[in-house]
Amino acid sequence: MRLSELRRFVVVADGDPATLFAAVAERAGLVEVDSTNVRRVFLDTADGRFRARGTTVELRTPARARKAPMFVWSSSDTGETLASFALPDGAPTPRFVSDLPPSPATERLAETMEMRALLPQAEVMSRLTTLTLQDAEGKTTVRVVLDRSRLRGPAALPAIVELQPVRGYERDALRVAALLDAQVTLQPLDRALVDLVRDSVGAPTYLSSKLKVSLDPTSVAETAWRDVLSVLATAMSDNLEGTRADTDSEFLHDFRVAVRRTRSVLQEGRGVLSDDARDHWRQEFKWLGDVTTPTRDADVHLLDFPALMATLAPERAADLEPLHQLLLDHQRTSQLQLVADLASPRYTALVSGWESFLGAAWPNAGPEAILPAQSVAAARLATAWKRVVRDGRRIDDASPAEALHDLRKDAKRLRYLLECFGSLFDAADVGVVVKALKSLQDCLGEFQDTEVQAMSLAGFGDELISRGDATAVTLLAMGGVVEHLDERGRSARCRFSERFRAFDHPDTRQVFRRLIDVPEDTDR
Amino acid sequence: MKILATYNIKGGVGKTAAAVNLAHRAAAGGQRVLVWDLDPQGAATFYFRVKPKVKGGGEALVSGRRELDRAIKGTDFDNLDLVPADFSYRNLDLLLDEAKKPLGRLGKLLAPLRGDYDYVVLDCPPSISLASEAVFRASHALIVPVIPTTLSLRTFDQLDAFVQDNPDVVKKLRVLGFFSMVDGRKKLHHEQIAELRARRPDLLDSQIPAATDVERMGVHRGPVATYAPNSRAAKAYAALWAEIAERL
Repeated sequence: MRLSELRRFVVVADGDPATLFAAVAERAGLVEVDSTNVRRVFLDTADGRFRARGTTVELRTPARARKAPMFVWSSSDTGETLASFALPDGAPTPRFVSDLPPSPATERLAETMEMRALLPQAEVMSRLTTLTLQDAEGKTTVRVVLDRSRLRGPAALPAIVELQPVRGYERDALRVAALLDAQVTLQPLDRALVDLVRDSVGAPTYLSSKLKVSLDPTSVAETAWRDVLSVLATAMSDNLEGTRADTDSEFLHDFRVAVRRTRSVLQEGRGVLSDDARDHWRQEFKWLGDVTTPTRDADVHLLDFPALMATLAPERAADLEPLHQLLLDHQRTSQLQLVADLASPRYTALVSGWESFLGAAWPNAGPEAILPAQSVAAARLATAWKRVVRDGRRIDDASPAEALHDLRKDAKRLRYLLECFGSLFDAADVGVVVKALKSLQDCLGEFQDTEVQAMSLAGFGDELISRGDATAVTLLAMGGVVEHLDERGRSARCRFSERFRAFDHPDTRQVFRRLIDVPEDTDR
Repeated sequence: MKILATYNIKGGVGKTAAAVNLAHRAAAGGQRVLVWDLDPQGAATFYFRVKPKVKGGGEALVSGRRELDRAIKGTDFDNLDLVPADFSYRNLDLLLDEAKKPLGRLGKLLAPLRGDYDYVVLDCPPSISLASEAVFRASHALIVPVIPTTLSLRTFDQLDAFVQDNPDVVKKLRVLGFFSMVDGRKKLHHEQIAELRARRPDLLDSQIPAATDVERMGVHRGPVATYAPNSRAAKAYAALWAEIAERL
């Protein structure tokens, strides 16, 4: 369903936009076919996934009719409707994919949303007047919408004219577009209404899971370390409220990633921070990481649950329901404990102490604090790289699982260093190395995660028995899932040598050596 | 992308009305739908107020000189597009006969649209011919309107026998029959429905009434739900679509 480009204009003249536009419409041969007042709530995920893909999601409810809201997903660039359907009567505002009726449209929405919740971004009341150009058959060949929206607050929004071409009738659309282009009262607008609304109400910026840190390559190590740790502290703070409220599981995930990166940067800060400070903060952030683990584990089990169910024949899927209930109980209990931990004096002291630590000069900083950040980071990267290469080369088909698990930790350490300090080096080279490393990490992750999941399922089986919730069919179904996980783990193990060879390829090694500017034999 | 074909060997059974109303219903439910009007009479094209003309005609499409994508017209409804009929489709058999691997031709033409649509509805002319066999090969399901009369039942049996006897042609095809143009006042309809339901429990439960609202599609030139949203017919098509979507 590809359409030629949508044209959007702002009405810039004073006076009633409808009257101003009426003359233009008449010249274009446009006829009004509908005029409706609707309440529109714009939705997106906390990290703005729909906006990032150039699309808009909104709930439209006719102002005076007692009708169910329409869920409308459209392209912000072309105006093309990607999905539009009425929500079931009395249904609450959908938050997760599972709240939407099952259909191919929902499957497409799920590709963007994944596990994230849809959150209200802004609300407006709009008077939408639709005008159309029709051919001799009475067929609409061009649609033009005059959108007069207003906010609840004092901020005003401009009237917007949107030309929506109809596929197969592009010539008519071009003719109307030329007429609209020639109007001095209309100025082209290259932004979607939702963006104007968000700006008007001062909506917070979308969160990002990607670490956005831009270090000065000429800075000293203390500055670079402080800058990275400050960005990570902001990421924790940005995700704290969503973690507490359990808005969706990604808030806690991103919170934990920031904690883990902080711990890693502290670990790599030997010689940059004082030993005392480093030991203290490593201990505190280890505690913080630990208190978030049970909830994350429960989240992961619940997120994986549909995939686990899909490994069984459809008629056996219901057999796993007692396990599902157990996982929900785990999630509820651990979330309550997490909320308590995040309200504890230890957490409060951690946050305020950390803020003060990052905001002031570091007393008794280590001897490397005044060295160029680039050379200190390069030395850390070289050490981490050598370790991955050394340990990876030792692994053969007979190596125990622990050897691969240890390699996963080494690889993660290298990855964090690249992510946190990569901006000190050539971006293209960092990209090549991260890509090679990511492929290896995915394989190692799959190998360990399937093993951990299989072990957890054994534990859940025992727990279901002790709760008296285990029937033979449930335990048999869980056994089927474990077999499937074992198979996935074996398959990941088989892929390992190929993935490691790709990572340890002379071309990647050459890029890495160039990246950190070291001699030929660094990784041998 | 699921390909459905509204089909019956016999004409005048409510095939085009089903194609248009089911496609409209699916699109209203958020699915991306393409109707391809393969009937040279162009009734579906007429209902959507589109001119029954494809540049280069059926020959350009079947030969691959013109991509199907470029023949698509947006209808007046969100998520619902149309490949219009063309009078040259009356020679579709001949055109397919001249093409390489004629049975797989329609599927091949539709394949590039896989990412663009959730459902394609082929509105087929009444006959059993090479063109019908190409439709059978391309489709996941045949949506077959059956008027509850002896002759209609007989043609449904013929179609069923063809599908059973030609697994090399049909491959993945499912036959979903439903009662169409049902007149609740006729005793004969009740009897025939009861008889066929007993013999064919796989028939869809929803049935479309013989209603003036359906006949008025030609006057309003649009799906029933656009001018009589609360009518029995509109509700029946909605229920029929829900059942078909569930079966698929």
